[in-house]
Amino acid sequence: MAKAKRVKGEWKRLTVQAAAFLLMNPKLHHFFLGTIEQGKTKSICVPGLNCYSCPAAIGACPIGSLQASLSAGYKKPAFPFYVLGFLLLFGLTLGRWICGWLCPFGWVQDLVYRIPFFKKIRTFPYERFLRWLKYAVLGVLVIGLPLLSAFSGVLVPWFCKLVCPAGTLFGGIPLVLANPSLRGQLGFLFWWKVGVLLALLLLSLLISRPFCRYLCPLGAIYGMFNRIALVHLRFEGDKCVDCGRCETVCPMGIDPRKQFNSAECIRCGRCARSCPVDALHMRFGLRMKDDSHKKSTI
Amino acid sequence: MKRSVRICIFTVLALAGTAFLLYGVFSGQFASVLTKAAHICLECIGIG
Ligand code: SF4
Ligand code: SF4
Ligand code: SF4
Repeated sequence: MAKAKRVKGEWKRLTVQAAAFLLMNPKLHHFFLGTIEQGKTKSICVPGLNCYSCPAAIGACPIGSLQASLSAGYKKPAFPFYVLGFLLLFGLTLGRWICGWLCPFGWVQDLVYRIPFFKKIRTFPYERFLRWLKYAVLGVLVIGLPLLSAFSGVLVPWFCKLVCPAGTLFGGIPLVLANPSLRGQLGFLFWWKVGVLLALLLLSLLISRPFCRYLCPLGAIYGMFNRIALVHLRFEGDKCVDCGRCETVCPMGIDPRKQFNSAECIRCGRCARSCPVDALHMRFGLRMKDDSHKKSTI
Repeated sequence: MKRSVRICIFTVLALAGTAFLLYGVFSGQFASVLTKAAHICLECIGIG
């Protein structure tokens, strides 16, 4: 057990995260009206898990859109070319840097984790197995069950319906507070989703980014691009003095010396900023060298 | 991963991503995203 570790320059990342939230959600007056923005820009996917039912959102959530695009009408399943195009291009350029710097729900978890007074834990027991859950969420709740529902008639976005805490926090709660007609329709599902959100926020007091580590399907998708994405982490093994500082500050509980290419790395740069000998660097561009001689294990 | 393999995979996926996006625009898929995103999604907010 330990306290959250302080790292220089962290305020810059928190500022970028706040700015990204405002850029994706600038129509703040809708929070007071209990309505959502309906402009044409909502046909464009944003990179992070930013709910399109957030009143102020001017773009579309890629995971909600992915589920919605699995159907082209009654009993007409479809291949989601448009949304996959966005996911491929976002993943190839930025990879999970999106998680570290742009995603609103990642930002919220970072803020909650910074609350002191709670002893912090680095990893849970069975951590390795828990991390596979997000791939199951992607396969079953985002693709499998919605596709089945598309075959049988009306599409159901099961991830949004049962799990997504970003939808509850940025869409559900503000709309229900501001819109009396929606308040009249609350039932078990709403309170279930509020429970999921609260559980994840409480967990975020103890462990950094629990939703990103274990459950987020968008993180699972972007993680697959980490090995080839233009934004990457470079490790120079010959400079490293094995002080282990990078490992203790990593919010995802990984060892950057061995796992700099890991699908779990959110490219936050905390390890690079805390390395005393500059052995880790955040880079943008095609990687002109083969991977470092200290091989990635994931 | 070797540099050449990485560049190959990157190029193929970048071309596929661009082609998917363009096909999505011209086949009208973007309109269904707009329709979904511009209306309150009852599942997202925990009512549907
Ligand atoms: S509920 Fe979650 S997955 Fe669904 S559209 Fe909203 S943010 Fe995206
Ligand atoms: S893992 Fe998901 S919730 Fe976490 S930062 Fe990435 S996209 Fe956002
Ligand atoms: S390895 Fe470094 S860049 Fe990646 S998540 Fe950990 S601290 Fe952030």
